[in-house]
Order: sequence, then structure tokens, then C-alpha cells
Amino acid sequence: MTQLWQLNLAQCSEGLKNKDFSVTELTEACLKRLTETEPAIKSCLAVLEDQALETARDLDRRGNDSSRLLWGLPLTVKDVFCLKGAPTTAGSRQLSDYYSVFEATVVRRLKAHGAIILAKTNCDEFAMGSSTEFSAFGPTRNPWDRQRVPGGSSGGAAASVAGFQVPGAFGTDTGGSIRQPAALCGCVGLKPTYGRVSRYGIIAYGSSFDQAGPLARTAADCGRLLQAVAGPDAYDATLADCPVPDFVNQRPLKPNELTLGLPRQFWNADLHPQVAKVLDEARNLLTKAGLNLIEVDLPNIKYAVAAYYILASAEASTNLARYDGVRYGFRQPDPGDLMELYTKTRQTGLGPEARRRILLGTFVLSSGYYEAYYRKAAQVRRLIKNDIEAALTRCHFLLAPVSAIPAWPLGSFLDDPLTVYQMDLMTLPLNLYGGPGLSVPAGLGDDNLPVGAQLWGKPMSEASLISAGRVLESLWPKLPEPQIPVI
Amino acid sequence: MTINTDSALAMARLARLDLGAEPADLTKLAEDFDRIVAYMDILAEAETAGIEPMYSPMENTAGPRPDEVLEPEGSAGKAELILEQAPERVGRFFSVPRIF
Repeated sequence: MTQLWQLNLAQCSEGLKNKDFSVTELTEACLKRLTETEPAIKSCLAVLEDQALETARDLDRRGNDSSRLLWGLPLTVKDVFCLKGAPTTAGSRQLSDYYSVFEATVVRRLKAHGAIILAKTNCDEFAMGSSTEFSAFGPTRNPWDRQRVPGGSSGGAAASVAGFQVPGAFGTDTGGSIRQPAALCGCVGLKPTYGRVSRYGIIAYGSSFDQAGPLARTAADCGRLLQAVAGPDAYDATLADCPVPDFVNQRPLKPNELTLGLPRQFWNADLHPQVAKVLDEARNLLTKAGLNLIEVDLPNIKYAVAAYYILASAEASTNLARYDGVRYGFRQPDPGDLMELYTKTRQTGLGPEARRRILLGTFVLSSGYYEAYYRKAAQVRRLIKNDIEAALTRCHFLLAPVSAIPAWPLGSFLDDPLTVYQMDLMTLPLNLYGGPGLSVPAGLGDDNLPVGAQLWGKPMSEASLISAGRVLESLWPKLPEPQIPVI
Repeated sequence: MTINTDSALAMARLARLDLGAEPADLTKLAEDFDRIVAYMDILAEAETAGIEPMYSPMENTAGPRPDEVLEPEGSAGKAELILEQAPERVGRFFSVPRIF
């Protein structure tokens, strides 16, 4: 018999509408599953059990309101979203006791649509990392293999969905932090267009890249989650002033209506044998179904990792300047003078990867190096944008692997930051460009680890991107449930 | 550009970071930093003459708007709550140690 925690968002919503079960029953089922699986996967930094149950009972008392898109649906949010009633740590010791006095626009909109926020999920400190191992509170484990990373930085979000703790989650994607963990954990992850979703109340990392988006078990569920939060917000001046289309009720696309461009720089890259095998098969399934696959060229993509890490680190170094021990967060006790207050606080409060990026960002912005690194990287960013735009004139979407390797064993690359940066090659160009991307599970390798593929679209094309994602989902094998030891 | 422990320390000072006292840690950090910066030097190959830098995907969209104070919902009267987050305060002020 299907358990309530096994349902996806659309199924939960349907069941609630038909009164097959109550919001309280669904919330209790997810909380029970979360409690049972959490010792194995450690996806959460805070479980909001009392708040969640109180909200669930309140929704039940007032009855179903079909105008609210997420009525009664249990979700998690990454711990970079400010939310009242629980600390907002961003995975950092610096903010381990920080209680926000306001809520992120995303959180407010989720609640307004009747969602129930069950937990705040683990992430690499300040969303900087690709494995969730840089969380100050310990790593999250991959639901498919607890000795492996879930990806990152939204690794807790992906593990909470893939581990069937919740049917949907919100994360953030600055260089791949939604799409890569979604791929490594075997769920669907959507990075919306830069400017689609408000960043108000989200702890900032790279402000010209950061974008919040959903993770779920289906592309359609991601569309529903995006619908609830997208659109202009008076508190975020970087949002595009354009209408929000209907992401939920889109006309289904036929496979032969789709032309996908395969960037040869990614498909010819050195892919892990299991990734290559799953993706070859996935590509064959698309061709057989009548999709038109063409090869496209992104000639400047070889510069993408360098350009991204210069620009994002520069932005991180300025954004993280606020953690100085003066106004909130951790403060080193008994500093001798003000300079020591700053330096000792930041040395103790911030972890190794955050400090590394601050140093790198400070370097590329410093006098004498600005032109050669920062400005040059911003010029290269335009070259990459031009490449992607040109490729997208020849097809509807680009199709690419998400990660060249499947989830790796914990600790594999902790001492090798440059290699980890280079592993972001297939996700971060999209953030340089600003368009939306959708990561979809393409299958399971012989090693029983999920492999994902992603679609990239033009800015504001999420509605058709989600429809295209549904086509891929319908053609590619549905992943089984990962076996997680429960207590 | 080559990074050594001296240049790493100079950057750390600008970034208000204390790199700690362990020489081995500092050497490893400078080596990592050097490898990363050496990798960044690949950008020198890119032909960018006449290319306008792109600092954000949202170019030319944030138009002028009225100069009005917007109080986020429920933020009125939150000054005291914000001050309560201060590691040290004196009355209505954040408190810091002496500057010199």
C-alpha cells in the first residue's frame, strides 16, 4: 500500500482535495518518515515539528482552499532562507544562533499559498560548495549511498526530496547548487531565470548569480512550486518586471516538437563511464521518440570556470564583509582591539571554503589585479552569454550532463578546491548567462547511483522548459526508491 | 601572478581574516591559492577587445522609482529585536572594543 510520504506534490494535493487524508495526517506521515530517515541522511539543520503541526491543524480546521496552490503541502527550505521561529544559519558557525526578525519573500509566499514548512535543510556554508561537506554542522549523506555526498550546495534539500522526507523543497543555485544535488540524488531541480524569484531574505553569496528555486520529484511539481513564489517583489530591485505565466497548466509538448542542442564541449568531455553509459542510453531514447538532437558549439566555455570563480568570489568577498562580529552572529570573545575583533571573529566564525573565496575575491578586486581578473572575467561572461544565445537560436533548449561524475565518496576532494571548482563546469555557465535550467534524472548507473541531465533555456522560458522536462521524464526510466535504513 | 605566503597574508589583511599561526596551514593555503590563481590566468587567452563587461544578467532593467521608504511587512518597531541580536550593546548602540 502506498504510504502518504511516497506521494509527489500533485498526488498530495489531489488527495487533500478529495479528502482522502487530512493535512495533519500528511504532515504527521512526512514528519515520521523524516524522523526515521534523518539519522541516516542528515538532511536537516532544524525540524519545525510544532509549527508544522499547528499550521496543519489550522488548515484542516479552515478547510481546503483551492485558490492556494500549495494548500497543505509539506516542504523544506534550505537554511539560507530567513524564516521566523528557527535560526537561519546558512550552514555557518558565524550564524549558528542567528534568528531573523523577518521572513524571506519566498517563505512568505509559500506560507501564503498554504505550504507547511517542515524543516530547514543543510547546505555548504553560505551556499559555497558542491558537496554539503562545507556545512559547519556536518555533511548530509546521499540517500542512495550514505558514504557518498548528496552534492551541493543545496544537498540537504535534494536529500530531503530524494529520501522521501518531503515531496518538495526550495534551494538556491548560484553555480549549480540546485541542479547538481538534484542530479546526484535523483530528483528534479529547477533553477529559474535570474530575476524570476525574489532574493529578499535569502543570505547572499554571489548577488549577480544567486537564484532560488524548487526541487521535487517531477517537473510539473517544480512548476507548481515556482508558480507560488515567482514574480515582482517591492523588496528586490533585481527582479524582472514581466508577467508570470501559468507554469501548472501548460499544453503538453510532443517529442517531435522539440529540438535540443547538445553542446559538444560537454558531451565530448571526460565523463565517468557510468555517467556516459546512462546518458548515451537517455539520448537514444530521445532520438527513438522523435526528438531532434543537434550538436551545438560553445567555444568560450573553457573560460567559464575561471570567469565564474573570479566574479562569484568577488561578490562573496563583499557580501560576507558584513560578518564582522559587531551587529549579529558569532563574535570572538575578548578581542584586544577592533581589528582583532574582525579578524579573529571571521577566522573562527567562517569555515575554510568561505575564507578561501573571500581571499580570492579580495585578490581579484584589489588594486593592480582588478583589470586583469575581475573586469576580464566580466568581459568573458558576455562572450559566454553570446555563445549560449547563439546556440539557442538553433534549438528550443540545450541538453547537457549535469555532473561528469556520479556522487563521490565523502572526503574525496576536501583538500583539492581547484578540482571541485572545475567539476562545476557543466552547471555554472548557465548562471553566468542568467537563463533557467532544469535538471531531470536520466537513469541509474550500474553502481546504483543516479545520473541527471539538464535543459537550459532562454530567460523567462520556464513554462516551456518545464513542458520539455516532462517530455524527458516520460521517456526516461523512472528511478526506484532509494533504500534507506530507518530507525 | 604567483601567490606566496606573503601575498596571501597581505590579502588576508585586506579581507580582515586572521590566517592563524600554523605555518603548515598557511603554506597549504598559499599553495592552493596559487594553483587557483594560476588556473584563472587562462582568461588572458580570451579575446575580449571591445567587449563590454557583463556584471549582471539583468542589464538595464532597474529603472528609476520613487524615493520612498518601504517598510517590509511586519518590520515596524523591529529595531529592538535587531539590537537584541548584537553580541554586545550599550543601550541603543552596538558596542565594539577600542579602535587602536
